[in-house]
Amino acid sequence: MGSLFSKKSTPKSRVTEQDQAVLKLKQTRDKLKQYQKKIQLNQDKERKLAKQCLDQGRKDKALRLLKKKKFQDGLLEKTDNQLDNLERMVSDIEFAQCEIKIMEGLKSGNEALKELNAIMSLDDVEKILGDTEDAVAYQQEIDAMLTGTSIVEFDEEELEGELDAMLAAEEESKMPDVPVSGIDLPEVPEHEVGEGEKREVKERPRELVAG
Amino acid sequence: MGTEFEWPWQYSFPPFFTIQPIVKTKEQQLASWRNLICDYHQHHSKWEVDGAVFENGKISRRLSPAAQRVVLQDLCDQGQGIMEGERCFVLWKSVAQWGSLIHGWVSERGLTGTVLTLFEIHSGDDTEGQPFYGMDVWLLQHVITMLGKEGKAELMMGESEDFSDAGVKFY
Repeated sequence: MGSLFSKKSTPKSRVTEQDQAVLKLKQTRDKLKQYQKKIQLNQDKERKLAKQCLDQGRKDKALRLLKKKKFQDGLLEKTDNQLDNLERMVSDIEFAQCEIKIMEGLKSGNEALKELNAIMSLDDVEKILGDTEDAVAYQQEIDAMLTGTSIVEFDEEELEGELDAMLAAEEESKMPDVPVSGIDLPEVPEHEVGEGEKREVKERPRELVAG
Repeated sequence: MGTEFEWPWQYSFPPFFTIQPIVKTKEQQLASWRNLICDYHQHHSKWEVDGAVFENGKISRRLSPAAQRVVLQDLCDQGQGIMEGERCFVLWKSVAQWGSLIHGWVSERGLTGTVLTLFEIHSGDDTEGQPFYGMDVWLLQHVITMLGKEGKAELMMGESEDFSDAGVKFY
């Protein structure tokens, strides 16, 4: 990652003026906190001292120490309030910085959108759609010519009649004529049939079928 | 600190406090000193070299000033110490490791892009349990400057030259 920056010059600073302001506020906050710690330590010491004094029976000194402690409590409260103010100011600044980033984001998004719209004007879109329609119509004409249908109107009824006649003719040629007259059946012999005659009778039906 | 620091056996061994002439022995000796110094300072959370580590009253031995210089020079050469003028800081973690730890903590708290004072990093209420709590401010700014070379942080100087009111912005 070090190769991103040239070794001779220092990298560009990304610290803004607002950052400097925030740093100053936080420095003050740190100082207040250190001050508070000091007072608290002092208070602890003096509380112990006051107790000792009480044990030793030096009530007046103990009382003075307690008064001092009360005063310091007041100081601590004031510094707490100051700290709250500082923290609030810091967070206001940080939030405002966020808002600026949001605005910048919206702005550049807006500009990007404008540029895209500029590429496509409404006239251009109309022209493209019109050209497409023409092309589609032309294509359909070619289709029509290639499939052989002409633009001339013809009599549908006449055509249908012709079609029916064609169909009827086809059907007739396919089916064999149904014979109207009866089939010649062999006569039943009245006398007993011999062996030779039986054979004859058997053969005859076969002949008919073969025909 | 919680537990008592456990001294290594070398600490009770008189020759340990004299730089050994034989190269192989000296190398081992210096290595033991490096380990002792790092362990001791980490255990006590001391950042700057504490002279107490160089002497053992129980055996009436201590490293001479010249020997101490040899030991500390070796410590720095091995990357476990760093000199700043007369002061020597002990690096039981390398500068890069500290940088990574601090940057990690900053990222976790969502504090990247905001300004922090060095004070709140080494002595703030929020960093109390962290391993870098109490870090000497010079060492801290050094770690941050190194992070800066990777573009991960930018040191902001305050009014005083001793970095006591300096700040930093992490990225």
